[in-house]
Amino acid sequence: MVMSGNEAEERACEILRKLGYEIVARNWRCRYGEVDIVARDGDQLVFVEVKARSNRSFGGPEAAVGRVKQRKILATAGQFLSQTQCCLPVRFDVVAFVKETPTVVRDAFRGDA
Amino acid sequence: MPSVSRVARLTSGAVLGVDAQLIDVQCDISGGLPAFHIVGLPEKEVSESRERIRSAIKNSGYSFPTGRITANLAPADVRKVGVGFDLPIALSILLSSGQIPPLTRRWMFVGELSLSGDLCGIPGVLALAMTAAGQSVDGLVVPMENADEAAMIDRTPVYAASTLTDVAVLVSNPAGAVAHAVDRRAWLDDGSPRPSSGFDCIRGQMQAKRALEISAAGGHNLVMTGPPGAGKSMLARCLPGLLPPLSMDEALETARIYSIAGLLDRAHPMVTRRPFRAPHHTISYAGMVGGGHGVPGPGEISLAHHGVLFLDELPEFDRRVLETLRQPLEDRSILISRAGMGVRYPASFTLVGAMNPCPCGFLGDAQKACTCTLLDIQRYRRRLSGPLLDRVDLFVDVPRVPVDDLFSRRKAEAAESVAARVQRARATQWKRYEGWAGVYANAGLQGDALHEFCRLSAEAETLVKRAVARFHLSARAYVRVLRVARTIADLDHSANIHETHLAEAVQYRAHSIHDE
Repeated sequence: MVMSGNEAEERACEILRKLGYEIVARNWRCRYGEVDIVARDGDQLVFVEVKARSNRSFGGPEAAVGRVKQRKILATAGQFLSQTQCCLPVRFDVVAFVKETPTVVRDAFRGDA
Repeated sequence: MPSVSRVARLTSGAVLGVDAQLIDVQCDISGGLPAFHIVGLPEKEVSESRERIRSAIKNSGYSFPTGRITANLAPADVRKVGVGFDLPIALSILLSSGQIPPLTRRWMFVGELSLSGDLCGIPGVLALAMTAAGQSVDGLVVPMENADEAAMIDRTPVYAASTLTDVAVLVSNPAGAVAHAVDRRAWLDDGSPRPSSGFDCIRGQMQAKRALEISAAGGHNLVMTGPPGAGKSMLARCLPGLLPPLSMDEALETARIYSIAGLLDRAHPMVTRRPFRAPHHTISYAGMVGGGHGVPGPGEISLAHHGVLFLDELPEFDRRVLETLRQPLEDRSILISRAGMGVRYPASFTLVGAMNPCPCGFLGDAQKACTCTLLDIQRYRRRLSGPLLDRVDLFVDVPRVPVDDLFSRRKAEAAESVAARVQRARATQWKRYEGWAGVYANAGLQGDALHEFCRLSAEAETLVKRAVARFHLSARAYVRVLRVARTIADLDHSANIHETHLAEAVQYRAHSIHDE
């Protein structure tokens, strides 16, 4: 049974808090799209995408954050930065669940590659 | 929220032509979406270095900072080419992100990075080292492969590194750094025999050998005319060996060009012998004078700097290619102008041309009949323009060697004694032309200098007047005869030009190619 999106995001927040992240916003949305979690890790601002899958047969959930999704998150992050006047370096993480097992991928992608 | 901004600065260098220039590398890391930009007129290969730098930093155990990274190469109006900026940019990122302590000395960094963080050699290090020596640079940090080359310029300490980590260790602990040194003299004189050895093995061809000697002694350009197989190429190959050995300055000048062209031997990165370049007659214009995409590279005439450029089958060369030789033969350098930039390469060489007397090659041969029509011959010779031939002082026939000479056991004069004579004549000229700008040898004599240094004795003057009348010499041909006579007199240790010198000089006029 696959976790629901909400359930996965809830679990992801817990995991991140344990890792020392400070949750800034959840399901922040704008015209470009939505970011599941915005958090602060030290002096970096982290945009987190949460993905859940029931098995690995179509590649890991990390692979599910494709180019189009990345671009959406980037645009949304840009919007977030300009609205909040934030000047911190930005990082993008992915929290992936396969069934119930979580994996945190720090610095999962960068916008400039 | 607070803003984070850290700017790091360090020194590198850019090669443009044979000259290098110091480049200030600045790096700023600020907050915001991840981005990595290189600005300051980078060419494609410099922009591409971003991916190499990213991997090299990660694979050297450092972290590639998040945020917005901007690397600036100043001054921003100089085109940045080559892969030597990998190392300085990577270091500036490490400095800016606080992963290595601030620099305590003014180092200059150059080097290409591999994905694994290893440093690879780059072309043009000699030019960079020369530039560093003229500036207040405390040390030059280069890839291990280029260390010997950079150390040839002994005014700046050179530090060699194999990896990015090596460099980080070096700059963190400058006191523990050991400068790389080479024995410059030993490098220049590697003890191998001079390549003139073929000279004494050439049978017969006394006049051609004498012409080579005169050419070497006075820097005169030479054209040999003769049937196939007479030994023209073999003779030409002996010329570099007759010239005086390269001085340290000359060797460095030539090596600098080879360094930029990437032609220096990695194991022995020095030019120790006078170059002998013999491009094929199908060579393109860019191959001859220099060119190529981006910043123009040196051509054959610059690779022959302080040596010999041998053009076999002279009339077969493209007319346009031959005409481009005129300016460098005059100026001893070539200015290559391309969109938005001009690059000057030195090109001081002795031109040696070889050609057949006619398309079939046997005109004037004692045994084989020529099959060319008069028109063929005229067309063949017309390919060489007057202005080009004007810059050639010596014309010599290289006939087929008679059978008796070929099998003769008589040994010719040793190359060493000819070379010694040449060197003495050159020394006389250096002394004589001190203070005469533009005159480096007898071949450069013209105008005032010609009248000043080619005074004729009364008998010689009578002779030269007779020769001018008898052979219908033009004013141009007369000047040429004077220059050559000056060199013959120098070979003879004579302060004045005598009849005998003139009589010999008259023989090298261009009777067989041009009707003068």
